[in-house]
Amino acid sequence: MAFWRTGRIGNWYNNTMAAPVLTVRELRVDFTVDKRTVPVLRGLSYTLEKGRILAVVGESGSGKTVHALSLLRLLPPCADIAGGEIVFNGQDLLSLSPSALRDVRGNKISMIFQDPSSSLNPVLTIGEQLEETLRAHRKISREEARRQAAHLLTSVGIADAEKRLGEYPFQFSGGMCQRVMIAMALALSPDVLIADEPTTALDVTIQAQILGLMKALQQAAGTAVIFITHNLALAAQIADDVLVLYAGLCMEKAPAKELFSNPLHPYTQGLLNSLASLSQTCEELPAIAGNPPVPGENLPGCPFAPRCNKAFDKCRACLPPLFEKNGRQVRCWLEEPK
Amino acid sequence: MTARVEIKNLYKTYFRRKWLFGKGESFPVLKDVTLSLPENSVLGLVGESGCGKTTLCKVLLGIEKPTSGTVLADGKNTAEISKTVWKSLRRVMQVVYQDPYSSLDPRMNVRQVLSEPLDIHGLKKDRAERETFLKGLLASVGMSETFLDRYPHEFSGGQRQRICIARALALEPKILVADEPVSALDVSVQAQILNLLKKIKRERKISMLFVTHDFAVARFLCDEIAVMYKGRIVERAPAEEIFTRPLHPYTRALLAAVPRVDGTGFALAAGTPGAEPGRENWACPFAPRCAAATEDCRARCFELKEVSPRHWCACGAISAE
Repeated sequence: MAFWRTGRIGNWYNNTMAAPVLTVRELRVDFTVDKRTVPVLRGLSYTLEKGRILAVVGESGSGKTVHALSLLRLLPPCADIAGGEIVFNGQDLLSLSPSALRDVRGNKISMIFQDPSSSLNPVLTIGEQLEETLRAHRKISREEARRQAAHLLTSVGIADAEKRLGEYPFQFSGGMCQRVMIAMALALSPDVLIADEPTTALDVTIQAQILGLMKALQQAAGTAVIFITHNLALAAQIADDVLVLYAGLCMEKAPAKELFSNPLHPYTQGLLNSLASLSQTCEELPAIAGNPPVPGENLPGCPFAPRCNKAFDKCRACLPPLFEKNGRQVRCWLEEPK
Repeated sequence: MTARVEIKNLYKTYFRRKWLFGKGESFPVLKDVTLSLPENSVLGLVGESGCGKTTLCKVLLGIEKPTSGTVLADGKNTAEISKTVWKSLRRVMQVVYQDPYSSLDPRMNVRQVLSEPLDIHGLKKDRAERETFLKGLLASVGMSETFLDRYPHEFSGGQRQRICIARALALEPKILVADEPVSALDVSVQAQILNLLKKIKRERKISMLFVTHDFAVARFLCDEIAVMYKGRIVERAPAEEIFTRPLHPYTRALLAAVPRVDGTGFALAAGTPGAEPGRENWACPFAPRCAAATEDCRARCFELKEVSPRHWCACGAISAE
């Protein structure tokens, strides 16, 4: 899979040719609903290198959150990892024992969830929650944990950290709670940070601050980030690489700059065209017709074919594989090499 | 051009008692809001969550009573009119909510959903006429007439929102209040609904109050935009003007923070705290976050002032220019 590691223009990690921290191969996840098996992820593969930000973009139901949860094996009981491999620093996460997995979770791979106020425990102080994370993985004293926690809060831009450690989550605003979550996620300098829609619950001005903070801390520590979002513009702002997910399949994967300046897949093109623009107005938005497929809908061909204006018979009959093109990947018969 | 809706010096304050016999605490949500919605135009209301956008809609729709100030909807003062007049006013003024999943009754099929407003107001009683009307209504929101006997759970978010819009249009209102109608929808479906709303505005000559937190969406649909911050309107101008010449520091901050697909114009403000310490009690609510704040902002909160024709701004630093 060396093609993903070929040089990228505009990447500050260009010359290091870093080894992948995380490799996902043909990951398949099925849900069992009413004794029926519904495939939610249908073979997802990618590699993530040190210090890079990979944005996973998709609509609701595309499998982006399921993919994030499966990386840490946090899936609900009705879900089942039906196949594939998740290799993190040489070990297969899918075959780890529960105790070995606990060592990875929060320590080497950590996660920021969408809703900051509901992912903090309301009956514990911010300090207790931060210290718990630290003490679960490091052999340090309470005083030392307290000191480090205060330092972490300061590093995410919360003033008066000592005092605020004794406060409860309800005393923090949404943006402040998300800062605490970031502090907690980065507390043990993980190799991989999974951010699942970290700013969806926040306002734009706060979103800009939080992303700026995340990016600064990420660059300082060289953390690799999987950034899950439904917002294309956000992905354009923050990511090095973008993976477009639709109905549990990777439709297109490319460096962010190339993807947004020259999208290859009709779905990516349609999405980008349909966005209302801030710089100009128009009479009608070129919308994509139809609705995204419901998980479990039986589509033999390309899942986007029913909505695609470039679809032909082959698209409806059989699913295209991921084609290689100039170091990018695209799942579309139009890009089939001649 | 006469105004469909006139809101003058509207205040809305919520009260809460901390415990049963305790002293009440007041939470002012809307402060001195003055707005007008002209005929056949779309007014966009932009602001962050908790700034009072939805409360303003609720007051306009009569769900909440104003603490003070007047709301004139279709020429009637909503605080003074009787229940009967309110009922007739609801024919004129309809609403589309944010979440199409919770705003449709799961036990009513589309026919029942769309018929309910007609039944309440005793319209289109003839069966054949009703049937043709409902089919036409569905067609006008881009849905097939075969959907009439289906139930909400059979539809996707975008289709449900179309049904909600059809329900609002059933009474052929003159005023439509749309409270974030696309923010709960998938990206690829948002554009469809926005196009539909624009078509409705064009064909039905409806005045729309369009609440959103997304500037790009506002630019596409709105004729005029009002920016709200902590219960006050801080800037109001024709849509083009807001984007080409934003004046209020808050409007500028909002515009600068919008992520863009081309990757430009987005200031990743690393580490900047949300508030400048020591300015919490200043008169201007935006002062704690404002780079242009001066000593003036400590003492007084500036009112909306017409800076240039049809462009209103509430900022001391701007009015002084």
